[in-house]
Amino acid sequence: MWFGSVYLKTLRDFRIAIFGWGIGLGLLMYAVVTAISSVIATPEARASLVSLAGSFAWIAEPIKVDTAGGYATWKYGFTILVMALWPILVGSRMLRGEEERGSLDMLLSQPRGRGLVVLEKLAAMWTALLAMALLIGLLTYAGGARVNAEFTLSESLLFGLNLALICGVFGSIALLIAQFTQERRTASGITGGLLALFIVVDMIHRVIPDTDWISRLSPVYYYNLSKPLIPSYGSNPVAMLVMVALSVVLSGAAIWLFLRRDVGAPVALPQWLQPPKRAMRPEQALPVNAWSLRSVYTRSLATIAVPTFWWTVVIAGFSAWMIFIVQQTEQKLRTLYEGSPLLKDLLTKVGGGDVNTNATLLSFFFVFLPVLLMAFAVTQAGRWAADEEDGLQELVLATPQSRLSVVLARYAAVATATVIIAMVTLALTTLASAASGLALNGGNLAAASLSIIPLGLLMAALGYLFSGWLRAAVDTGLLSFLLVIWFFITFVGPELNWPAGVQRLSAFYYYGTPLLHGLPLGDMLLVLAITVVALALASARFVRKDIGR
Amino acid sequence: MAAILETQGLTKSYGSSRGIIDVTFAVEEGEVFGFLGPNGAGKTTTIRTLMALLKADAGMARIAGMDVWQQSIEIKRIVGYLPGELALDPNLTGGQILEYFGHLRGGVDQTYLKQLIDRLGFDPTRKFRQYSSGNKRKLGIVQAFMHRPRLLILDEPTNGLDPLNQQEFDRMITEVREEGRTVFLSSHILTEVEQTCTRVAIIREGRLVRVGGVTELKDIKRHDVTITFAEAAPVEAFKDLQGVEQVEVMPDGHTLRLAVSGGVDMVIKMAARYAIVTLTSQEPSLEEIFLRYYEGDGPAAGGQTTREASHVVR
Repeated sequence: MWFGSVYLKTLRDFRIAIFGWGIGLGLLMYAVVTAISSVIATPEARASLVSLAGSFAWIAEPIKVDTAGGYATWKYGFTILVMALWPILVGSRMLRGEEERGSLDMLLSQPRGRGLVVLEKLAAMWTALLAMALLIGLLTYAGGARVNAEFTLSESLLFGLNLALICGVFGSIALLIAQFTQERRTASGITGGLLALFIVVDMIHRVIPDTDWISRLSPVYYYNLSKPLIPSYGSNPVAMLVMVALSVVLSGAAIWLFLRRDVGAPVALPQWLQPPKRAMRPEQALPVNAWSLRSVYTRSLATIAVPTFWWTVVIAGFSAWMIFIVQQTEQKLRTLYEGSPLLKDLLTKVGGGDVNTNATLLSFFFVFLPVLLMAFAVTQAGRWAADEEDGLQELVLATPQSRLSVVLARYAAVATATVIIAMVTLALTTLASAASGLALNGGNLAAASLSIIPLGLLMAALGYLFSGWLRAAVDTGLLSFLLVIWFFITFVGPELNWPAGVQRLSAFYYYGTPLLHGLPLGDMLLVLAITVVALALASARFVRKDIGR
Repeated sequence: MAAILETQGLTKSYGSSRGIIDVTFAVEEGEVFGFLGPNGAGKTTTIRTLMALLKADAGMARIAGMDVWQQSIEIKRIVGYLPGELALDPNLTGGQILEYFGHLRGGVDQTYLKQLIDRLGFDPTRKFRQYSSGNKRKLGIVQAFMHRPRLLILDEPTNGLDPLNQQEFDRMITEVREEGRTVFLSSHILTEVEQTCTRVAIIREGRLVRVGGVTELKDIKRHDVTITFAEAAPVEAFKDLQGVEQVEVMPDGHTLRLAVSGGVDMVIKMAARYAIVTLTSQEPSLEEIFLRYYEGDGPAAGGQTTREASHVVR
């Protein structure tokens, strides 16, 4: 049945993503909706939450944040858009990925038009998005029913639908951009950057008055015009139709271009838009004399240079921004935490200290740094596994390089990248601290910035270890799952009153609260020891295993 | 001469799937050794086991007296390898790829490298993703030859090369042999092996079925000859000719299709006695030859007599 058409085959390929994203985000919504009663346990906490939400309007428009639907809408404002990453990957892979693999040639050799093929694939993506929306809507409704929230089942489903529509827009953007790129990675990278840009463009009108016209340029603006979980605010059918229209236009343009271009080649740009080509005669091509070609380590370093740059921008930028944010909202946050036993408990557990200090508040936000660095490590570990699967190790291992030196050189490149990210983060946070006037202990700031390194190394080592047995997609999926579970334990667990012992199961627990208490040497050594063991096992496995293709 | 490459009972399986079973052969220093077999016969598995990319389940393989698994690094210093499917960083140019692998080998003679590039007409300025399959193959051949290895292990090296470059490749192989170096190349094209190799091993369904001189291939070599005569086709004249296994008259009554084993000399001479409109000779694929030659035959062990006996006119 599942191999009867391109649509069904593509939908079959999405089955794990449908359940993973649908249930994962659905559970997050369930947790945040059910947490509302403890967040506003006292009138002071309620008032403080409302006041605080106003200060955090850049996240999302704060409307009825003291209700389950309002709180969930505000708290997961733009972070829920993480789901757009999936259609971005799908949109860039839909045609360009298959062209890279050469599988599209085979598919298009069948008696089936190009247009029909891409339409079936698009239909499968939309079906998957709607299925995810359904799961998210149902779980959100279940959470709401538990706390007698004011929104209905149809409003929960509309929330899911609104999310699916904005995700579809980004999938369509990725599909269109992929018509102009040689590689799917470039298309997904550019669309990921556009997602971040559009989120910021949408934020502008909530931070700076009279800038609504700027935010209207962002598709995220139209997503935020509907707030189905807040019944008094409701949905905006026009905004939803705008997103549908955007998807149709963008996908239509992508299909139009695809029908007219060569398979395997990007759309030919006009001469004036093409980058200048350096004419080189073949006899001048060698020697290249590039530093990056001297060893496996330098080559690996060059390969990950661009992603390392962008992850550095995100991680270091986030930490510096948090310093400014905490400085500005310290008083409101403190009142909220003091009025909310649950949040106070969360802050004590995650932030690690007295709610009366801004360092404690900042300490809470700094726990996101290892999360981000570990996400970077997941991508790099996945790439290691994918390279073997794609046969890129074959010729390297045919040279007189030992397998051990190859695996360690690749790992060393990832380790170098994590150290660079941490060092730049330290430099930026130090500058931000000085610029904002937020007094922070220099040693503790250094500990908070550099303690993320062992956790990044741990994630990469685990990824290398799993890749000894698992395919790249499964390896990346397993690591991502681990990351989500640890995130859930550390950030959602306290809201669900999970016992403290469970916190120890999360790697983030061992990051501790270095901004307050300095370097948790014992915990860091433990993480490093586990990393060394994982890397040793990964190396031992790689040295002995069959190199796959 | 001493064997530079030898295997004894080499066996590799992929779980329950067949890989290679009990493969035993030896390649002497200075010879060009062909490894022949249809697709999926086990050629690449054997080669990847020799390159220590796969670990053998049983048996042993040695190159220059060294165990291919235990002493793989020393072995790779003297071996040039061309994989069957070339996968390289799509963002690097051909020149960058060659420089990278040159560094991993501890440096190569740049003059010789440029000679190889010139000989194959390879453009090293383009990115790997922009190369055609033929150019990718040229890049693979250059990187396998560039450090003047003592032993070349080439997995279907001419796949995708045009006839001119195939000829240049043949000349390069001849030079390697004349310099006393050794070539082990796999192929599923009978004539290619015939032209370049001195000895050959034939593998089928994971087992070696034959190892011997290339001249011994003649008894399995076949041609499909189609002759269109100006007059009615003289069936009887060809039926009993030496080597003619099958004669088929086409519906037009003027065309004969002959299945000929060994040489076609007798057929050509006989055809010359008649007025001919067209004559074409086609070499069937190795799969077809194997299908006919080993039809109904099980694994190689003990099958030789049966195979020879089945080699009769039908």
